[in-house]
Amino acid sequence: MAKTIITVAPNGAWPKKENNPNVPITPQEIVHDVYDCWQAGAAIAHLHMRDDQGFGTMSTDKFRETVALLRKQHPDCDIILNLTTSGDLNATDETRMAHLEEIRPEMGSYDCGSMNWLNTSLFINHPDFLERLGKNMQAWGIKPEIEAFDPGMIANAAYYLKKGVLKAPLHFQFCMGCANGIPGNMKSLLFMKDTMDSLCPGSTWSCFGVGHSAMEMTYGAVALGGHIRVGMEDNVMYAKGQLAESNRQLVERAARVIREYGNTVATPDEAREILGLAR
Amino acid sequence: MTWGPMYMYYRCEACGKRFKYAVDLIPVFGDRFGDCPACHKPGVFVKDGARTPDDADYEEVDE
Ligand SMILES: [Zn+2]
Repeated sequence: MAKTIITVAPNGAWPKKENNPNVPITPQEIVHDVYDCWQAGAAIAHLHMRDDQGFGTMSTDKFRETVALLRKQHPDCDIILNLTTSGDLNATDETRMAHLEEIRPEMGSYDCGSMNWLNTSLFINHPDFLERLGKNMQAWGIKPEIEAFDPGMIANAAYYLKKGVLKAPLHFQFCMGCANGIPGNMKSLLFMKDTMDSLCPGSTWSCFGVGHSAMEMTYGAVALGGHIRVGMEDNVMYAKGQLAESNRQLVERAARVIREYGNTVATPDEAREILGLAR
Repeated sequence: MTWGPMYMYYRCEACGKRFKYAVDLIPVFGDRFGDCPACHKPGVFVKDGARTPDDADYEEVDE
């Protein structure tokens, strides 16, 4: 039976308690949700941090505090940590990497291009930054999760692969349905996968859809042999008009979809094998 | 890093309904994008954004 990896992205940089009171904000809340989701089948946790006012921050202190708390409270939790490098639009290149160098998580996000952010601002991933980040992650033994918001970002990853900035096999996260990115629908997902297969053959991939496309992308990922990301970073709603009760609720639904399809939910160690992570 | 679905928010001058459309459904709705789901008349644009505090006050129009 094929194994499908569930990544949970519990909080992101943007949703606040006003959007959903169940979004984890503090280190303790994040640790609670990570452990809860690991028990429900999540193999990877993609984490963002918040400052004391609840805004996204790249503070190494917050990352350190949260990871230490997880390890102290839950030594049995072998979930793969995937720490963001894009948690604050105003962060410097240095603060976007400092926590990776210190904490050395198994994975970190790598946003493979720049884009307009919500038609109001810029999400900048300068070529200098991407080159340094890719090389540093190789040196630090951290596998990039290449977030692609459109097919051009996959082409950019192919370029960095040829240049030695990234190392095969790559692992992609297709971010579907984000403003200024590729829309969230099956035709677009197929195109992303085809583009990846032709430009970066041998890569693994995962996807999610924000908003109305969440379930379509979940089912699409399983059917097309990909992996799944769920969590309140991307969706604070469980269904139309219904707030998610917890991140665990979203992970449990993804696990049900995987099992009903006939696949099994990958454990963290199975995910390590699929992604080529050396623990 | 994502920021949730981005919507365009409208109100209907005929019936007063408040509703929203996700921007990635522009190709799906075409000329009907922004129409009131009850009256089928074009709504008045109010604002756009993701996860605005009063988001729940606007009914989501989908396929
Ligand atoms: Zn109306």
